[in-house]
Amino acid sequence: MSDVNSASIRSIAVLRLALGFVFVYFGLLKFFPDLSPAEMLATQTIMRLSWQWLDAQTALFLLAVFECVIGLGFLLDVLPRLLPVLFFAHMLGTAVPLFVMPEFAFKIAPFAPTLEGQYIIKNLVLAAAGWVVLAPGLMAAGRGSVPLRRAELEGSM
Amino acid sequence: MTSRWIRAVVLLGVAGLAFAIARTYETYRGTDHSRVPRLAAVSSAPVETRDPAAPIADIPTASVAAGPPPTVPAADDGLLIYPTVSKGARTPFDLWRYYGRGASSFGTPELPMRFEQWLSFHRKQKPELMRDVRAYMAGRYDWNGKAIPGQFMSGGKPIMQGPVARLDPGIASFADLAALRPDEIKRRDLFPYKPLAHPLQSIAHMVFPPFWVAVHPEHLRIDVDMDIPSEYLPEFPPPLFLSTHKELGDVAGGREITFDNYFEIFDGLLTPEQMEGLKELLRPTATTWFNQTDHRITEAPSRGVACFDCHVNGHTNGAFELAPDSRPNMARLRTDTPTMRGNYNLMQLSSKRSIRSMDHFAEVEEYFDGDPGMQQAIGPRAVKTEVTNRMGDFNAIIDLPPAPKLTPLMRLDPALATEAELRGEAIFQGKGQCATCHYGPSFVDDAMHDLQVERLYVGRPEGPIKTFPLRGIKDSPPYLHDGRAPTLADGVEFFNLVLGLDLSSQEKQDLVAYLLCL
Repeated sequence: MSDVNSASIRSIAVLRLALGFVFVYFGLLKFFPDLSPAEMLATQTIMRLSWQWLDAQTALFLLAVFECVIGLGFLLDVLPRLLPVLFFAHMLGTAVPLFVMPEFAFKIAPFAPTLEGQYIIKNLVLAAAGWVVLAPGLMAAGRGSVPLRRAELEGSM
Repeated sequence: MTSRWIRAVVLLGVAGLAFAIARTYETYRGTDHSRVPRLAAVSSAPVETRDPAAPIADIPTASVAAGPPPTVPAADDGLLIYPTVSKGARTPFDLWRYYGRGASSFGTPELPMRFEQWLSFHRKQKPELMRDVRAYMAGRYDWNGKAIPGQFMSGGKPIMQGPVARLDPGIASFADLAALRPDEIKRRDLFPYKPLAHPLQSIAHMVFPPFWVAVHPEHLRIDVDMDIPSEYLPEFPPPLFLSTHKELGDVAGGREITFDNYFEIFDGLLTPEQMEGLKELLRPTATTWFNQTDHRITEAPSRGVACFDCHVNGHTNGAFELAPDSRPNMARLRTDTPTMRGNYNLMQLSSKRSIRSMDHFAEVEEYFDGDPGMQQAIGPRAVKTEVTNRMGDFNAIIDLPPAPKLTPLMRLDPALATEAELRGEAIFQGKGQCATCHYGPSFVDDAMHDLQVERLYVGRPEGPIKTFPLRGIKDSPPYLHDGRAPTLADGVEFFNLVLGLDLSSQEKQDLVAYLLCL
């Protein structure tokens, strides 16, 4: 294996661990009311998406569980089928405020975001990183093979 | 093997991170930056409960003198922490289930977005919000529109029949509900008279009824409307009776008293001091959300709100606000506009603040939600004490409506009252225990009482609330400080449950018949 390939493999592993850390860290914060800076935007979005059926505390708890599962999936390199679904669903969910609450996401839509809007738009980086990490497994599944753990893919490259 | 070790290290790291965050949280909560109060120390002593059938004398002395009652942590009592919301965002309709502290006691005159966005945001949110508000209120109350035959307010508006609070489908009648113990009603979530929150408590402020907004479109809010049907609100415009001119009856003559017509109506009837007081009660002043700045809830800049915009003709139009006595804003109780009639007899004003004089009342009712700091940004009312004294001078001559069946000593005249009304009076004085707090010329004791209604539902205790006078009560629906009892019959059902009165259906009807005479 060339040094370049070896570096790429390790880079993907680093990216996977970094994603996992961020999701677990921010997810854990959401288990503690008032500790997450994303609380207002996240809970308002979920409450709106659930037609106000979920209260804020329940919404935040469910989101915390959701993010921790994704984070642990990346960190432990498990849930090869479920993880891509959860991850991309989460990414789509985080983009919802741009469309349903543009007044909070933009000073002037669509080219002058607020801090919250910028926070959401920056998730593009997370989505791209997730794609880099998850794509080999998804492609393997697309070819009809059993989805492999990324560690196995990383090892096979 | 290596992979297992790495995973073990990762899991250990996650556990360490969780532990560190939890420790940080314990440091953070209870600080002035946190919405989460630190939990009070809880006694580990078991709570002894008394057999309700046992006579008081049989209670062992030790269980009575066991020391202070243990504090139940709010979270253990089923309460939730207030959600984080910005101005304008929706708030839960069941805010009584929440607790916590605010980021600050002080408000700011800033919107979370540009004013154009603010308008656009509410244009989208208001229809959805009001659809949900109406569904919620229709789920709690049966607004059937049925009036009590032959019963009218002092100005002729029909008085609505009740009770209209809906019972849980598993409970057949109010009698069946009243047969249950309070703890069972709480456990099964059956109490029909839980508090009412402001439908948009992140802004809150005054919400006017549609019949008022129809003639005062400047008070049409962009964000929320009245949530109680007009039939269940006071009449408009209500009569105004003066204690100094009883012979004139309704001096307003079916008109709304305004800045433009007050002089014509009252010149020659009032003293110059009373005239000035009335003028000030009619003068609009900028408020937290009705003003000329962008920090407002009207499309166009607003001149503000006058005392008589809610206390129309010295009575009430049923507008509601939040009591300005607590923080965070989420903790403030919804409060209906009380009538000013008969204030001359009250030694205590306001539902929670125990204000002791009418001039003080006029001085502090500055519509800034208990936040004088906002005056710097929005514009002060800035009335001086001599002016508030004169507002008090007019307030002091607003009389109660006629009650022709009452004698000078506030008992029913047997020659004028019906059998049902007389039976109702006997219940009022006896089994109903109403007269314990409601007595004297205004049927009020001028005291605050803690009814401990949280015994019957999972909710934040509301604490002591002022007894409201019952004289003229038929003119002032809805009832209780937040209007949770839309009719007199609902008020009777509320007290039957809260005080465990065990009133029969006939006794409750008789009590309503009596209350209509006051």
